[in-house]
Amino acid sequence: MHFVTGGAFNGKRKWVKENYPEGEWFSAYNKDPLIMNLESPWNSTFILEGIEVWVKELLAEMTMDEGRKYLKDVIAGWYKWENVSPDRKLIIIGTDITKGIVPIDKADRNWRDLIGWFYQDIAIKCERVDVVWYGLNQTVKG
Amino acid sequence: METASITFITGGVRSGKSSFAEKTAVKKALEIDGGLHYIATSKSADEEMEERIRNHQKDRNESGYLWNTWEQPVNIESLAFYFKKNDVILLDCLTTLLSNELFSQDTGWSDTYSKKDEVFNRIWNGIKAIEKNCHHLILVSNEVFFDPLHEETELLFTYCQLMGKLHQQIVSTAENAYLVEAAIPLLMKGAK
Repeated sequence: MHFVTGGAFNGKRKWVKENYPEGEWFSAYNKDPLIMNLESPWNSTFILEGIEVWVKELLAEMTMDEGRKYLKDVIAGWYKWENVSPDRKLIIIGTDITKGIVPIDKADRNWRDLIGWFYQDIAIKCERVDVVWYGLNQTVKG
Repeated sequence: METASITFITGGVRSGKSSFAEKTAVKKALEIDGGLHYIATSKSADEEMEERIRNHQKDRNESGYLWNTWEQPVNIESLAFYFKKNDVILLDCLTTLLSNELFSQDTGWSDTYSKKDEVFNRIWNGIKAIEKNCHHLILVSNEVFFDPLHEETELLFTYCQLMGKLHQQIVSTAENAYLVEAAIPLLMKGAK
């Protein structure tokens, strides 16, 4: 798994498109649902974009603890799917929303905290992590 | 696109990016015995802003070099004509310029929203025009992309979207790009 992060509007999508032109996209920005279990029997490259939006949706129905546990299972499911074949590849794009001013809204604070944990959990399982900064990538893992 | 003689410098608030930018400008000017110009995009709207501007002015005066200061809150392209081939120009900062362009008094917000491309082009064309007429252009900006954004907050969303587009465009053509963290400039693009 390859995790791509960075601030909003930093060119993450463009960078991933250039590096994985064959990828099949699932985007929270296009209202695609979160795929918890990848059931696809095919060996392909999947790109999951806007995972921060899915997390926000989860928090409408779950507590923080439930959310974190649920998301750990999600990551485990992705990991399992990818490891079936070396021809399976999962690219996860998440916007970093964790470096700004503490949000006034409690829901935003929770969202931000859960994102911080989720990204840590993802990064541990990924063999490569890149931070995209205005179109330039910095490989921080792998 | 070809590389332009632009240095892009960004960082958080009070990260030391302005003083790094000033040092870089002075160094570039000394190399060619060129002129030093400073484009200030802030309007001194309140006391706090005035104090920040005064502090920056003081630093520049004490640097021992002569700076020509231009106060240009909007439409930077109109300045391009005044510069010469051996001038080094420092513009501080892009975030203020973008706010001024987006929220200038003669345009309402609904108007602004539909003028996104126009605002982008006005700033980008201004940068290109100035860069063509000088030895080197240094652009200072701010990291503003790490807050939770909501599409509902259209205004902030549009602002960040435009800022990101500008930064990407600038970084892709700039000779050098730096991210300043706690007064330490990290070279992200180019050679030292």
